Amino acid sequence: MVRDRSRAVTRPPGARETSGQATRKLTLSLTQRNSLLGYLLVAPVLVCLSLLVVYPFLFAIWISFTDRTVGAEGRFIGLGNYAYLLWQPSFQATIWNTVVLVGVVQTLKLAAGLGVAVLLNQPIRGRRFWRGLVLLPWAMPAFVAFITWKLLYAPQGGAFNLVLLGLGLVDSHVDFLSTKALAMPSVIVATFWRGFPFWVISFLAALQSVPRELYEAAAIDGAGAWQRFHHVTLPSIRHVVLVVLLLSTIWTTNGFENVWLLTQGGPSDATMTFPVLAYLGLQSLRIGEAAAVSVSMLPIFAMLALFVAKLLQEE
Amino acid sequence: MAHADGGLGRPTRWVLALVASCVLCVADPTGEAQAQGVPAALPKAVGTFTYWGGLIFSEEANTMLVQRIKQWGKERGVPVDVVMINQNETVQRVSAAVEAGTMPDALDMGRDLMLLLSRNNRLEPVDDVFDRIGGEHGGWLPSADSATNPKDFGGKRYGVPFGTSGNLLNRRDDLLSAAGAKDPPQTWEELSKLAAAVQRPPKYYGMGFALSNVGDGNLTTSMLQSWGGRIGDDAGKRCTLDSPPTRAFLKWITEAHAAGLFPPGVTTWDGAGDNTAYQSGQAIFIANPGSVYLYLKKNDPELAKSSKYSALPRGPAMRVAPQNPNVRAIPATGKNKQLAKNLLVYLADDKFMADYYNYAIYGPVLNSQKTASVFRESPLHAGLLDLALNGTPPGFPDVANAALAEYETNFLTPKMVQKVVVDKKSIQAAVQETQAACQAIYDKHK
Repeated sequence: MVRDRSRAVTRPPGARETSGQATRKLTLSLTQRNSLLGYLLVAPVLVCLSLLVVYPFLFAIWISFTDRTVGAEGRFIGLGNYAYLLWQPSFQATIWNTVVLVGVVQTLKLAAGLGVAVLLNQPIRGRRFWRGLVLLPWAMPAFVAFITWKLLYAPQGGAFNLVLLGLGLVDSHVDFLSTKALAMPSVIVATFWRGFPFWVISFLAALQSVPRELYEAAAIDGAGAWQRFHHVTLPSIRHVVLVVLLLSTIWTTNGFENVWLLTQGGPSDATMTFPVLAYLGLQSLRIGEAAAVSVSMLPIFAMLALFVAKLLQEE
Repeated sequence: MAHADGGLGRPTRWVLALVASCVLCVADPTGEAQAQGVPAALPKAVGTFTYWGGLIFSEEANTMLVQRIKQWGKERGVPVDVVMINQNETVQRVSAAVEAGTMPDALDMGRDLMLLLSRNNRLEPVDDVFDRIGGEHGGWLPSADSATNPKDFGGKRYGVPFGTSGNLLNRRDDLLSAAGAKDPPQTWEELSKLAAAVQRPPKYYGMGFALSNVGDGNLTTSMLQSWGGRIGDDAGKRCTLDSPPTRAFLKWITEAHAAGLFPPGVTTWDGAGDNTAYQSGQAIFIANPGSVYLYLKKNDPELAKSSKYSALPRGPAMRVAPQNPNVRAIPATGKNKQLAKNLLVYLADDKFMADYYNYAIYGPVLNSQKTASVFRESPLHAGLLDLALNGTPPGFPDVANAALAEYETNFLTPKMVQKVVVDKKSIQAAVQETQAACQAIYDKHK
């Protein structure tokens, strides 16, 4: 019966059954039919992804090779935009700033995220409350969060300055955001604060899935707290760490509000990052250049994604 | 058909009226004759007529504009959608709309954006509307005329000015008068000396001028020009920033910074930095187009009474006080161009504009608008009138072309100042680095 149904389904409309051989060619096995159905079901998603992700992505790469401005097609100029950018001091500062910002912020998030997650996984008093509280920075709209940080950093009337002056730790106000040496650390602290709850929650979820028996077995074998963390906890949540690292790195690199609301990339490009530079490029309606700034981040993301994928595969 | 009393019979009057209407419609493509609610011989709207207005600090002015446009639509049976856009986002919104082919039927914009869009033929020429409005309102003020001069836009006009904006010097008259300075400073150097004498840091500082990567930071370009420095040559093709006047300006401003005349944080101020500093009593001088005045009038009458407004001071070479007429423009892709032109004429109505200026922070653009009472009664508006009449054209003394616009959007002058006050580079190095970046921009536009 199954075979008969399959013939009926797979025969093209209007096709005639001329011989048994032809019929066998048109017949699909159950597995093949399931595969076909699978492809049909994912097809709409693939089409959507192609339209909404692949096309704009490829289009952005294409226009980065043109001198396109808003409203004008532009012409192909090869690597002209990239050459122009590489020569610009702002772009050179941007590369370094992005590496520093992302590198330091991710390291801090990893350390704090893991530490707080392990702590919140313990049977401590008010655990639910603390778990809710730690989510607050993540739940807060980015705009509100970074404006608040800007007020905290303010040289006149800012909370940090009031505390420092009040405690007599400094003689005069500290200009956190306008001093070259302090601007990037200030942006890093605010960015870290806003983003680390995502790590905590992700790690916490992963920690709760580690079988308790593993810890019990390790304890019986005489493993101490550090050894249990190193040999049981870390390997068990490794895949979550990698995925969170990948996602968060992409988000942090693409972060715009943190820098724009705190420093606008200043002072003197001390905190200029790729998204802010691309935004400024767009202010001049020079889409080609702005696209080149954005696309220049692509190799970094691609390498990171491949690296994480490889590690996950090994697992 | 003449009657005994010398009048015309009813049928004759009807025929004449009909003929007159037809003539009027033919001779009046913009439909201004129907502006006061007379049924218009205008094309039917294709879809909903969309207008993007520029959001300003006065809620009353924003509401007035929306209601006026809706009234226009109601009188003509045109479905209207008015979207007020934060002017900081106009470039992004317009860029996206141009690329997506979703531009509105008409919109407000600044001269720089008009320049960039007109270069790519994205705007409809509006010479006819410009001439008509000018003719009906006693002519355009020279500042409005020159800001849209066809010679700068490939032979056509692409915008109809509706309000002049620009920076005025806001000063704390109470503090300055107490120190014997009753009149506004005439030069920047006088201003910095006054600031040094009167300021009491950390309570309040003398010079509340942004040195950051925001539009307000480009005031430093006007300062530089008033020292005799130039961004480009007379042809607008080559960057000529590296010059003795530029160095002299940079020396003055960085010495003022080193002397502590600027409030802390000016190198990373956002667009509201100077507003906040002045409104909280932490700055003696700021340059502002009027938003601070509106805020004080409403929220701090005491500080408003203690504040005075005047033109930007002179530099050693000249006074540079840029006035920038804001314009209404019609996208080339618009489906309701004729209606849009009609709306632009409708919005230029003297009574409406006189009421509108009461709340908006714009100076006049037409001769008929100069007599509006607000320009006599409000100190800020008197300053805006002065700016409209005596201010310098956009970019002056430089050529206000796309290269200069890109120089400004890259904030190269405030960044040059930052190189000295933040990076601690020498004036020589800061000027040379900025000259190189500036030349790279001018080279792209050759």
